[in-house]
Order: sequence, then structure tokens, then C-alpha cells
Amino acid sequence: MPPAIRRYLALATKEVQQLRRNRVLLIQLLLPPTVVLIIFGFALNPKVRDLRLGIVDESLTAQSRNFVDALTENVNFEVTRRFLNSKQAEDAMKNLDLDLFVVIPADFAVTLGRAETANVQVVIDAVDANTAQIAQGYMRSSLDDYNATGGASSNVAFRARRTLARSTHPSAPPGAPDVYPAYLYNPGLVTAWYYVSGLMSVIMFINASLVASALAVKEKETGTIEQLLMTPAQTGEMLLAKTSPVFVLMMVVLFAALGAATLVFGLPVRGALWLFTVAGAFAALAGIGIGVMIATVSRSQQQAQLLTFFVNPPLTMLSGATSPIENMPAIFQKLSYIDPLRYMVTIVRGVTLKNAPWEALWPNLAALAGFAIVLFAISAVRFRKI
Amino acid sequence: MKKIWAQAMKEFKLFRRDKLLIMLAVLMPVVMMYLAGSTASLRLRNIPLVVYDYDNTPLSRTYLETYGASLSFRIVPRDPKESPEQALASWRGRAALIIPQNFERDTRRGGSPIVQLLIDASDSNAATALGNYAQALNSSFAQKNAVSRAMPRLVSMSQRLWYNPGLSNPIYFGTGAMGLMLLLFPALLGALATAREYEVGTIIQAYASSLTAVQWILGKALLYVAIGIVNLVICFTLGLLIFDYRFPSDPSVLLVSTLLYLMAGVFFGMMMGNSTGSQSAAIQGVQMCAFLLSLLLSGYLFAIRNIPPQIRWLSSFLPATYYIQIVRNSILRDVGWSTSLMPVVALALLAFGYFFLNVIQMRKMQFKG
Repeated sequence: MPPAIRRYLALATKEVQQLRRNRVLLIQLLLPPTVVLIIFGFALNPKVRDLRLGIVDESLTAQSRNFVDALTENVNFEVTRRFLNSKQAEDAMKNLDLDLFVVIPADFAVTLGRAETANVQVVIDAVDANTAQIAQGYMRSSLDDYNATGGASSNVAFRARRTLARSTHPSAPPGAPDVYPAYLYNPGLVTAWYYVSGLMSVIMFINASLVASALAVKEKETGTIEQLLMTPAQTGEMLLAKTSPVFVLMMVVLFAALGAATLVFGLPVRGALWLFTVAGAFAALAGIGIGVMIATVSRSQQQAQLLTFFVNPPLTMLSGATSPIENMPAIFQKLSYIDPLRYMVTIVRGVTLKNAPWEALWPNLAALAGFAIVLFAISAVRFRKI
Repeated sequence: MKKIWAQAMKEFKLFRRDKLLIMLAVLMPVVMMYLAGSTASLRLRNIPLVVYDYDNTPLSRTYLETYGASLSFRIVPRDPKESPEQALASWRGRAALIIPQNFERDTRRGGSPIVQLLIDASDSNAATALGNYAQALNSSFAQKNAVSRAMPRLVSMSQRLWYNPGLSNPIYFGTGAMGLMLLLFPALLGALATAREYEVGTIIQAYASSLTAVQWILGKALLYVAIGIVNLVICFTLGLLIFDYRFPSDPSVLLVSTLLYLMAGVFFGMMMGNSTGSQSAAIQGVQMCAFLLSLLLSGYLFAIRNIPPQIRWLSSFLPATYYIQIVRNSILRDVGWSTSLMPVVALALLAFGYFFLNVIQMRKMQFKG
């Protein structure tokens, strides 16, 4: 056996034993990522449901009640209260008891009787722009339905053409072209798939950087780094021995996360698992590289952990794991290219959800590999200097 | 009172010496708030759309034009050999529009030709929105080009969007981000300061001194609440500059609740420091509970009622839930005490609860004087 490998094995054994004795760290490492991922999957749900609708019916006629019935047929509205005048509804909205309310004017029935267009007012609390937009859509769709059926009470055949929960717009009028959306890769529109597939690698990456920095700085803190430097081992061997147990652990974490995602949320794995593994390995390397780099500039574990606070949140936010990169301001879109996590998130989604072709995935894999190698090399150079 | 002040001064001297901490306390909130406020956006724009026009008539081109003119879609060139599935699988388009042959002829005959839109639904939320946009565009095409018989409109609707007429996303996330920042950093500083006493062993001196538990805790907390107020000023200024904050007409609600919130955060951090006794563990605890849980469950991203009830109860123990609501009430809705009273009371209860837990933890070790 060549001496280099022997030395590496000896050092790696030492690291494994140290890690094994540190039961708290092991539990900290293996349990939370999966739990966090599951909470994420359940908690992040942008679907808007049960909008609290208030109704101010100043007309109080059969026609206005018919109109209200047509509106509230939409399952997403929940009529909480009826008001006598709009002032009361405004107050209720200010007290956050309502999400939106409709004002039906006193001359509603009269106007309809003259075959003119009656005008109703809709007031929406728009602080949450996304919810407001969706509420607006639901409202418009109900209204269009009402108009399309000529104010007749529910026409089931017409409504059956669309699922109420999903569509916020009415089908095209008869005779006109119609557009049929087909949802590829996630036909059931499971929200959790998007977040879980994005966040599993982010969580692994953050853990890798935290643990690697903690382990690397620990020797410095306790002063045992001098003893290590005096051994015949090269710095490269030392760094490899130090990081390989972490690396193995991180791969376990990543696969545990993938397992949890498939079991709990039914996330499909449609592409090649080896690609996921290779990309995961590069991402773990990049994470470890960042962790060791942080360790080399900090003097104590506490400092190292605080520094990871500077580094990790921006990497997470720019990775596109929680909000699509296309929606960000242009400057952040450009910045996201220097975020290794961006490539990892793309590959994970490509492999699990899309079964993306190799031509589309390899540039991402190459970029990720580039980042892993550069980060790890820098950390090796810096590690030598301590 | 004097003892509390002395304890606070001691903390301040310790804090002043740690450059990294000062940087963390002052610089980080700004950077993170900017990032968190502006990267989180659910508005879709310029979604690449691959187009397969098998009809290629004036009407089909007009139909495409409707999509091209909208802000949500951007028509991208396509490779003639590539199938729509391939284009979507390799991220060249997020959606593919397929117009069938005889589109124009069928439309003129009133035959309702069906156009297909394939959407990449890996982001299911965006996919739903895209489907809806497409249907809206389709209706507007039908109306503009008079290809359908005119519908008698019985009822029209006028809309008013209160508080945020431009439907701007940064306003919403910017206010939430301030809430997160004002929790994370004070809690972190409190946790570090407390855990350090245990690590260095100076906690024994605190036990042995004539300070009571309450005095020790208040003295420590005083400094970090003060730093939190500095953070508030910084974050609020940033909000005014970038996120279109408005000055509330009754700032007293915001001020009182910020004080309570900062206290809740600092006490929570100190509790973490007390119970773990090590700085690294305290940092992780704060990161996990104060940051991650608040990020997910406080209504910062998505409304709390969307969270499944099994874990929804957790959010009522998070100070951020109430504070973010109050911030949005004051800054965006500009409503006063009558609306925000309940959340303020809840905040006060939480702050007192965490304080009480601290006192219990300290009492256990304190000598009876």
C-alpha cells in the first residue's frame, strides 16, 4: 500500500472515530434535514382557498340574491357576513375580518329590468398581491359565468367544463377557439413537489458547510492542529481525511431527503439516479469547500458559524429553490449564475420531475463540477496556510 | 435599577470589542432584508413560450400576437426538429402553444378549434397561473376579433384594490422581511451573549453576585433590545427607500409592538443560550426555531390558513406571526390600535412568557440571598 494512502486511511479512521463519539453532532446532522424538509413541504402552500367574502346587498331583491348565489357557487369563496351598508363592510375589512366584499347597488334590479348593464363594486384587500390577484380572477370568472348563462341560475352543463378549484377564468364563448392547458410533469399540481425538490439539496449544502467548518476549526480551537501539521501527512491528505467522513454523511443526508420526499410526498424520480448522485457529490464537495474556507478565516467555532450566516442565506435565496429565478430582478438573475446551488437545484428537478435530456443537463453538471473543484482547491490552499 | 444599568454597560463593552458581531448586527439585516424582500416574488413575467403554429394563417398569427403582446409570455424561437416535449424538458420553454391545422377555417365556421398549451408544471403554482393567463388571453382574443357572437353583459364589475393598488409584491415581502430581521439578529445576539457566559464560566460569577435573576436578565436584554431598535431604524429606512413603506399615521402601535417583539426575540435567544450552554448549539437553535420556523409558519410567504392544521398551532407560539401582521397593518393598511390590539396583547404575552422561562432557568442556580 502506498504510504500516501496509508496515511490517509489512518487520518480518516481518526476522524470517523471522533465523529462517532460526537453523538449530538451525528443526530443533529441526520435528523433535522429530513424533518425540516417535511415541514417545508407541508407548510409552503401558495394555493388560495376559503377567501372571506362579505356582501353588501343594497338592492335586496330576487335578482340580487340570484346574483349572490351565482357568485358564491365558486368553492373558493366563503360568505362570512352580509352587511346593510358599505361602511360596515369597510370597517370589517379594516379589522381584517374580510378579504374582499361586493357592493350591489340599490338600483340593481331596476337596471337589469331595463336590460341595461348593472355595475357592482368589488373591493379587495390587496396587501398580499398574489392572493388579491387570484381573488380578482375568481371574481371575474364567477361574473363571466353569470353573464354567460344570462343570469339563469346554475347551468351545470356549462360549468362542468372546468374544475372550479383550478381555473379562474371561464371557458371561451361557444364557437370561439378554446385553449386547453395540459400540465406536464406534475399533472396533479402537487405544490410540495416544487419546494421539496428544490430544498433537499439546499439543506444538504448548508449542513455540509456548517459541519465542515465546525470540524476544521475545532482542531484550531483546541490547539491540536499543530500536532496534525507535524505528522508526515501532506495537507492535501489531511484535508481529504477530514472531509471524507463528512462527505459520506452528506450523501446519506441527501438520499434520506430523497427517500422522505418520495415516501411522504410521492415525488417521482423519472430520470437517471446516477446523475443525481454525481451532482449531489459535487454539491456536497462545494459545500464542504465553502465550509473549510470559512474555517480558515475564523478563529473559533462561534465565529465560523456566524460567518456561515453571511454566506448561506444569499446562496439559498438565489438558488431558485423557493421562488423562480425568472421572477427576480435582473441583477439577481445575473448573480444567481455564481451560485453553485442554482445548478444543483436545476439538476435535481431535471432528474426527479422532468427526466430532462442529457444535452440540457450537462452544462449544469459541468458548472457545478467547476464550482466544486475551484472551491475545494481554494480551501485546500488556504488550509495549508493555517 | 442601577444594577441593571451596570450589567447593560458591561454587556455593551463586551459587544463593542467583537468586530464580527457588530458587523453581523448592523450590516447583515440590510443585506438579508434586501435579498429576502426582492427575490421572493410570485409575479410571472417573460415566461418563455415555444410556439407550434400548424395553421399559419393571418388569424393564427393574430392569435399568437395576443400572447406575444402580454407581459407574462415571451415567444422564443424554436428548433424546427424539436418536439414540444423536448423543448420543455430542456428548459428552452416553460410552456408550448400548439395551434392545430385549419384553425382559421374552423374559427370562421364557429367550430371552436382547440388550441393546446403544454405547461411545465414542476412549479405547480406558476403553472396554474400560466394556464389562467392563457385562458384570459384566449377570451380577449375572441372578443377583440369578434369571432364569437356578442354576449349581452348583464353585470359589470368595478374593482378597487385597497392598500396596494399596483399589486406590488415587494411591498408585501418587504414588510415581512423586516419582521424576520428584527427577530433573527436580536435573538442571535442574546443567545450568543448568554451562551458565552456558560462557555467561559463567568456565569458562576453571576450566580455568586448580589444580582437577582431578574436584574441579570433585564440588564443583558437591555443592550440587545437597544441594538434591535437601531436595526428597526435601519430596516425602516431601507423599507422607505426600496420597498415603498409609508409612515403610519399612528406610529405608537408599531413602536410599542416593536419593543415587545424585540424583547420576545431577545428573551427567546437568551433562553436558548441558557438551555444549551454552548454558543454553537445556541446558534443552531436560534437558526432552527427563530429563523426557519418563522420563515415558514409566520405568514411571511404564504397565508397561515394555507398551513395544514396539524402544524398550524405552532405558528401561534411564534412572535413573528403577530409582529408581521402588525407591521403590515401599520405600514400598509394604516389602521391603528383597534385592529392591532389582539396581536399586540399576544406579543406581550409571548414576551412575558419567554422572560418567565428565563427567570426559572436562572433561579434554579441562584443562591438564596
